[in-house]
Amino acid sequence: MKFPQIRLSRRQALGVAAGGALGAVALHFGLDELTGSTQSAASSGWASPLGDRRAMAAHLLRRAGFGYDEAELDAAAALSYDDLVDRLVGQVADPLAAPSDVTAHTAVVEAWYAHMATTHAQFPERMALFWHGVLTSDFRKANRLPFVYQQNALYRGLGLGDLRGLLTSVTRDPLMMRYLNLDASTAAAPNENYARELMELFTLGPGNYSETDVRESARALSGLRLVLYDAAGHRIAAPKYDRTNPQPYLDQINALVRSGATFKGTLVPRLHDSGTKTLLGRTGNLGADDVIDILLAQPACASFLARRAMTFFATPTPSEGDVNAVARQFRGSGYDIRTLMRAIFRSTAFTDPSNYRSLMRSPTDFMVASMRALNRPGLAVVALRASAGMDQVLYDPPNVAGWPANSGWVSSSTLLTRLNFATTATAGMTAAPDVAVAVRTQLDGVLSATTAAALRAAHTDADRWFALLAGPEFQLK
Amino acid sequence: MSVTRRDFLAAGLVGVAGGVIVPPILAKGVFAAGVEGIHNDRVLVVVQLAGGNDGLNTVVPYADPGYASARPTVGVRPENVLHIDNSVGLNPALKSLKALYDGGQVAVVQGVGYDNPTYSHFENLYVWEYADPQRRQTDGWLGKLLGTQLDSQGHPLAGCALGEVSTPPELRAANATVSVIQSVQGYTVHGGVGRQATVPALYRGTPGIYGVLLDQALGTAEAGMKALNSGAAAYKPAAQYTAAGLAPAAGSLGSALQLTAQMIVTEPSVKICHLVLSGFDTHQAESAVQTALLSELDTAVSAFVQDLAVHGQSDRVVLMTWSEFGRRIQENGSQGTDHGAAAPLFIVGKPVKGGLYGEQPSLTSTIDGGNLKHTVDFRSVYQTIIRDWLQGDPAAVLGASYAELPMIKTA
Repeated sequence: MKFPQIRLSRRQALGVAAGGALGAVALHFGLDELTGSTQSAASSGWASPLGDRRAMAAHLLRRAGFGYDEAELDAAAALSYDDLVDRLVGQVADPLAAPSDVTAHTAVVEAWYAHMATTHAQFPERMALFWHGVLTSDFRKANRLPFVYQQNALYRGLGLGDLRGLLTSVTRDPLMMRYLNLDASTAAAPNENYARELMELFTLGPGNYSETDVRESARALSGLRLVLYDAAGHRIAAPKYDRTNPQPYLDQINALVRSGATFKGTLVPRLHDSGTKTLLGRTGNLGADDVIDILLAQPACASFLARRAMTFFATPTPSEGDVNAVARQFRGSGYDIRTLMRAIFRSTAFTDPSNYRSLMRSPTDFMVASMRALNRPGLAVVALRASAGMDQVLYDPPNVAGWPANSGWVSSSTLLTRLNFATTATAGMTAAPDVAVAVRTQLDGVLSATTAAALRAAHTDADRWFALLAGPEFQLK
Repeated sequence: MSVTRRDFLAAGLVGVAGGVIVPPILAKGVFAAGVEGIHNDRVLVVVQLAGGNDGLNTVVPYADPGYASARPTVGVRPENVLHIDNSVGLNPALKSLKALYDGGQVAVVQGVGYDNPTYSHFENLYVWEYADPQRRQTDGWLGKLLGTQLDSQGHPLAGCALGEVSTPPELRAANATVSVIQSVQGYTVHGGVGRQATVPALYRGTPGIYGVLLDQALGTAEAGMKALNSGAAAYKPAAQYTAAGLAPAAGSLGSALQLTAQMIVTEPSVKICHLVLSGFDTHQAESAVQTALLSELDTAVSAFVQDLAVHGQSDRVVLMTWSEFGRRIQENGSQGTDHGAAAPLFIVGKPVKGGLYGEQPSLTSTIDGGNLKHTVDFRSVYQTIIRDWLQGDPAAVLGASYAELPMIKTA
């Protein structure tokens, strides 16, 4: 599709900005020379550049990671799209070094922001964030134990493996066990909280199981208790917390975690219901892993998670047909998560030009992408402070269903907080990256007329970067 | 030029579907000054008790022997209950609410729920927020009411979520303008006068499926900031919103209700305010947690009622509480209670005809293996609030008509 190339005078450009009637403007040169092509709007409204290989690579990097600089984009665009998908999906996770205090929620989250902003293994980090939203937990349940740090490491380490391994580990993850009361469930009083959410929110979705199934799985999942193991897998005693003198405890627990010790759910036979249970048509003396195997055998499982992942990575409204096609590959691979993600990135739901800027960046995504675009990983502490006002404090989801998506992130006050973050992030820069380059690399040169005008009107690098980060383009991906 | 909110929305929707950019005059979040387009001067304050408040420990059936036997560790001892009559009474943490009850300003609606309930937080939230047990509606009941009946001009502060960070689903609707305000101080553009001048135009004419939404949200923020700041300068609280008499902590219910009072006193277009008190999901160690939460509710709500009275606003405000479900009759093995069904709620204010409404559900004739069967459909409460208090059309919001409870004074 060819667009008429029109050179706009400054007055015409401002007219576009004021009238807003011409859709997006593509900037090809410096900020002073607004040479644009007025483009008829694509179905998404933005003039989609996704026919272009470099723009397609940028589209993928924004969604499979958190952003890039010009050199990274150049390297990505040199590969064919399929090769780029394979390279990203094949990335090996980069562990998060233990922060100053592994028992402090804020220390872990700040370290995670910095890690997301700096690691080259962008895709595993993105997957860790995805699983944090699906298999979510609340930091308040950690209660002076290193459980947030441990769950964070779990999703980074297993988030790209097979789903069965992830689910069996999550079922024994201390933060999850505390969050959904699995650690207090006994044969005499099976607690249904985890059993219900495992089916409703983690694997099948509502309507694919009965209340009886919830109760029977709660029985099968009863009797798990948290035990501390050293790196060699031997049980060890957990240090005792002393309210009047907490430092020795903190020193011990931090040293233990650094040496590889982990808490893990462990079956205590006398607390477990070993009677016969019937779950979704299967009867026997079922245990925790049997529950997971039975759920994975349900046809609803692959499509439920395929839809969840497609909504997070590809399009706010995946079609039934696209979901089913991806789900078939996922299930056919024995629930290999890399296969799932490769199928999503190669689906037309992801690559179609109409999906350009069809997703809203989450607050974490927006802030980390800002940090990467500015090359300022030190903003992690600013991100930590700003996250509450954008409604995404990591490990503090609104409920067990996880985070909102897309338009769910937009309100008057969350937008204000995003703008105020952009102001803080761009203040006091000594050597700001070139904004004109960033307009091409970060925004594909596709700007609203208003953003183009704001960039032209800005007098300082801070003001130009504010316009770029606060503008509508950078909120989207 | 008079552009109604409805015109704006029509233009916005056509714009999105057709890929056409909405003219900036419409995309600005147009609203009239003062109260033009506002239905009447009545205000509804909704306090959500998030997590599933244990109704049996809130309005306690202390005379029923089944209560003590089902609640050996988490139950309220009968001598501590604040007796309403010889069968039920309030949790001892609700002393001020009991005084308001005795003064005829509290309706206690017992046994509120619906047929064939689910026991999931998320399904029940959906049911209550969208007033739809089938969970098919896509607009929150308060948002639909606000946008279609109470405010035809999109006033920035007609619908507010106070002390919250995101739009609550109840207020989310295609045609409702809602401001989400954590605090007056936080609700501002940083970076100086230049930045404040740049920001309002930032999303004007943005293309794409999020363009109108972004521009509308920013326009709402601009107008809201102006009104909030002039309101803060004009209002002084006339009651203590914390038990200790200190300024309420940021994020507390007291702080949000004090801000609610400021808005009601200073901003005539306010119609619906939404607040949340969280933490009621008491699977473990229930007594201490619920007592602290009910005390916070008790102190903040009674201060709010007093504050409004001193400011001469009592006749125009009704407050209601709700929670996604009550809890299981039988306590669990962790000194807590699991998800349940029917529960009581409170309607508070001078316009309320105080007393008990509905029936306390039976502890023996139960549903789903030990849960309370509702005696009042929650939509009866909504119907009464919509028609008798806000003078709106319940059927247009609820899709049907429900039995009303005579709990709003008629004269």
